[in-house]
Amino acid sequence: MDWALLAETGINGSLIGLMYSLVAMGIVLIYKSSSVPNLAQGSMTMLGAYIVLAYSSRFGAPIWLAIVLATLSMFGIGIAIERIALRRLAGRPIIMILMMTLGLEILLRAGSLTIWGATGRPMPIGISDDPLFLGALLINRAYAAGAAVAIVIFGLFALFFRTRMGVVLRAISDDYTAAWSVGISVERGVALSWAMASVVATVAGVLWASVQGVDQSLAHLLLKGVTVAVLGGMDSLGGALLAGLLLGIVEGIAGSYLDPLLGGASRDLVDAAMLIVTIMLRPHGLFGRHDIERI
Amino acid sequence: MMTETSPKPTKSAVLSLNNIEVVYDHVSLAIKGVSLEVPDGGMVALLGANGAGKSTSLKAISGLLVAERGEVRRGDIQFLDHNLRSLSPQRRVELGIAHVLEGRRVFEHLTPDENLIAASAIRSRHDMIRNKDKVYTYFPRLYERRFSAAGYLSGGEQQMLAIGRALMTQPKLLMLDEPSLGLAPFLVAEIFQIISQINREEGLSVLLVEQNAIAALEIVSHGYLIESGRIVMHDTAQALKSNPDIQEFYLGGAQAKNFHDIKHYRRRKRWLT
Repeated sequence: MDWALLAETGINGSLIGLMYSLVAMGIVLIYKSSSVPNLAQGSMTMLGAYIVLAYSSRFGAPIWLAIVLATLSMFGIGIAIERIALRRLAGRPIIMILMMTLGLEILLRAGSLTIWGATGRPMPIGISDDPLFLGALLINRAYAAGAAVAIVIFGLFALFFRTRMGVVLRAISDDYTAAWSVGISVERGVALSWAMASVVATVAGVLWASVQGVDQSLAHLLLKGVTVAVLGGMDSLGGALLAGLLLGIVEGIAGSYLDPLLGGASRDLVDAAMLIVTIMLRPHGLFGRHDIERI
Repeated sequence: MMTETSPKPTKSAVLSLNNIEVVYDHVSLAIKGVSLEVPDGGMVALLGANGAGKSTSLKAISGLLVAERGEVRRGDIQFLDHNLRSLSPQRRVELGIAHVLEGRRVFEHLTPDENLIAASAIRSRHDMIRNKDKVYTYFPRLYERRFSAAGYLSGGEQQMLAIGRALMTQPKLLMLDEPSLGLAPFLVAEIFQIISQINREEGLSVLLVEQNAIAALEIVSHGYLIESGRIVMHDTAQALKSNPDIQEFYLGGAQAKNFHDIKHYRRRKRWLT
């Protein structure tokens, strides 16, 4: 066995996995505050990337400014989605809410096809294609940058949830009736979580687009995001980070050793297996809360 | 709808319910024609059996009926100078109504300290710090456990936290739904003693909902008795305690005769009111 190759695939896999975590963290943010599993997170990621391109190519903004503007726009779009589409469904059966997010997913994907077409475009954020050398191992620069950003974003959220407003959001996710009873505006809290998920989607969109270009296939990241979110426990940001790491490593190693045997589909098979096995054996994931029971 | 013995409230009322009617899901009638008053700075109990409409009355006041698809269909709820019926739950908290929910409902995954912080969403940081000090003075046990998850506190501590959380909103009216539920008698006594202390020291009006009539009548000045969604009796705590009917059916004082008599009593009461 070639240990250097194994280490290389493991490391690159873990970096890719952390980039999956970015998508998963958006799903977790919304799920935590309102128990809505957001199936539109993938297409929100895609939309974020398209909006960056729109600012930079249509209005000629430098790429960093385009990213800032797109982040702000997506913040507003997140609030609008919650206000227009989700709020009226509060208290309705979860299946209707789930179908609503699926509808949004289709709407955003089809809408982007209408507006921007299906041609893939590059997202030039200035990361060189040359690999980083870690001893004898080759590390992909774009993946390394993405993983670093994922960790930074996770750290920012960890800090945010210690602030007064963060504590209020966690209170909403614990018991929204009790939150109402002390004057917390639950609706505004949920809207804020959609806004934050949209901002994370933009960041994920930019990073993934810098690897694979901007087109509708970015929306397929939903499957990775959902798998990682479920594996991490749906309501745990730390869980999403570690589950991403785990999925990335397993997927990378499976990809390089099983692809020759399975004809190139082994990554998706590994994802599907992880998702299904998690739901069957450990529905609350690795780090999801089992409800606290008093001893 | 009051018995002839009902006393005139001496002080002005902070809260008055006038003939309110609540329906759930547009059809099922939960309470019909409930009227009651809480005098400013006073303590009033709303007593009654399970399912009589006590919690529904409180939710009508705090606006939390919306969470259960309930609505006030008729009647007025007056709080100070405000008619509450059209206001959001949040607005009612801002006006000074605090509702301590049945079953405590603390934020289990937050620490007691964070529970108190979350409950000051409508107040300034300065007020939050001051109110937290006050809550920890009333409930020193919470201070000792302020950094462990609230879900792991004992039932009594959780009840203290639920009350402390309500105090963080700086209420003028504190409504408590079954604070004695599931607690050992000595804890009930301790918590009720603190409630009346808060009532005295803060000038806070209290509306106490209880099944445990014995304990409640010890600390309130007046009591209302609710049955099947209607107020059937209203009197001073003293009078209620010595009322033979109350003793028989709610305080367990006399030997209950049989179920037929109870039914008969209720029917008769309804005709009389």
